[in-house]
Amino acid sequence: MIALEFPPINEILRWKDLFPGFNKIAIIAVAAALIATIIFLLAGNKDPKQAPKGVRNFAESIVEFIENGIIMQTMGRDGLGWTPFLMSIFTFIYLCNVPGIIPFLQMPATARMALPMFLSLLVWIVFIGTGFKHQGLGYLKSSLFPPGVPKALYILVTPIEFISTFLVRPFSLTVRLFANMLAGHILLVTFALLSEALFQAEGNPGLIPVGVLPLFMLIFLTAFEVLVAFLQAYIFTILTAVYIGGAAHPEH
Amino acid sequence: MLTAVVIQSGGTVRVELLAGGGESGEEELISPSKCLFEPETEEARTAEKISPEECGPGPSPIMPEMKELAWGAGAFVVFALLMRFFLFPRLKRGMDARYNSIREGHENADAARSSARSEVAQYEAAVASAKADAAKVVDAARATLESERQAKIAEANSRINAKREAALRDAEAARGAVRGQIESAVTDVVTSAVEAATGKRPDASAVSRAVADTMSAGVR
Repeated sequence: MIALEFPPINEILRWKDLFPGFNKIAIIAVAAALIATIIFLLAGNKDPKQAPKGVRNFAESIVEFIENGIIMQTMGRDGLGWTPFLMSIFTFIYLCNVPGIIPFLQMPATARMALPMFLSLLVWIVFIGTGFKHQGLGYLKSSLFPPGVPKALYILVTPIEFISTFLVRPFSLTVRLFANMLAGHILLVTFALLSEALFQAEGNPGLIPVGVLPLFMLIFLTAFEVLVAFLQAYIFTILTAVYIGGAAHPEH
Repeated sequence: MLTAVVIQSGGTVRVELLAGGGESGEEELISPSKCLFEPETEEARTAEKISPEECGPGPSPIMPEMKELAWGAGAFVVFALLMRFFLFPRLKRGMDARYNSIREGHENADAARSSARSEVAQYEAAVASAKADAAKVVDAARATLESERQAKIAEANSRINAKREAALRDAEAARGAVRGQIESAVTDVVTSAVEAATGKRPDASAVSRAVADTMSAGVR
């Protein structure tokens, strides 16, 4: 029999401040913004007339992915003005997610509530602002009283629309990103601890080979987290585009 | 703290989660400053060594922390503004310039292709026209050659006819001359023979006439 101690959740999510008011999450967030800025800065410095390669090719791939894969699919040509904002969101979230599998960092900054909440509130403000900018007060009417619904049903539909559009959207954006990244982080910690405990099982050498199983699971989950990091950034960005597109053009 | 206890019995492995410190026995004492979160009690905060259990539990793990919010929001806002006003426009300008140059290249290539096609068509039309002209010239030359040939043949034929007629005349003249000599010789021979046979010289004109009649009948 071996004992495997799970640390309290706070121990795997929080670190001592490097200096007052600056912890690991802050490092990751600042590093994400800095790395993204450097990538796009380097890309912008390359000769644009040459066929793109290296960092410029990478940056242009992100631009084309956001424009063709997200904006054109959800907002149409009119939404191309939102490319810098959506690119910022996608790049920043992805670079905050990826440290979850980078040795020594091993913590996605989005597995803490602060960043997803801030980004979701920002998106919430942006899409509501866009709605009012494009439709004025008609935005409230088109959001709360969808056309084509029998008038009697507005008693039910209007509160549902109000809750889903104005209250649930920021909440669901936050929780989706936060919970997925937190769950992935806890899974990696769990399987890493289990592997370690089995490999170091004292007095029961029969358990050591069994440690290979959680180790393989750990490797698989690490690879899976690469996908999750991308997928969560993509989902957050595409939902942002859908919300903004819907607010700007309710007929879509 | 939760403790997972992994139990192997026979071929199966069972994991049980237990509350508390498990069977690890005595816990190490630590300095309160080593705690991730400050101990809640004043006694623990001021003690030299405390059990890790006495460290503070910390805030709820799902509550946002202000410092993370501030740094994250600040980092994102700065990055988004840089992206909006500096990074993206610079990158996009370069992309647009290259795409436009590629598009221009395509358009130029299309124009050059259609121009080349029209030049090929013109060239082919010119070749066809030249071929038609050449055929006309060849036909005219052939006709000229044929008429010249016919003229030459006619001229040659007339020359041949003239030569033949001249040759016939010469032959007729020669034959007439030979015939006269033969007639004379035959007349002489006949006269001599008749004279030898009869002892009398025949009339020369009668012999000559008889020989002429005989030879004429023989020639026919």
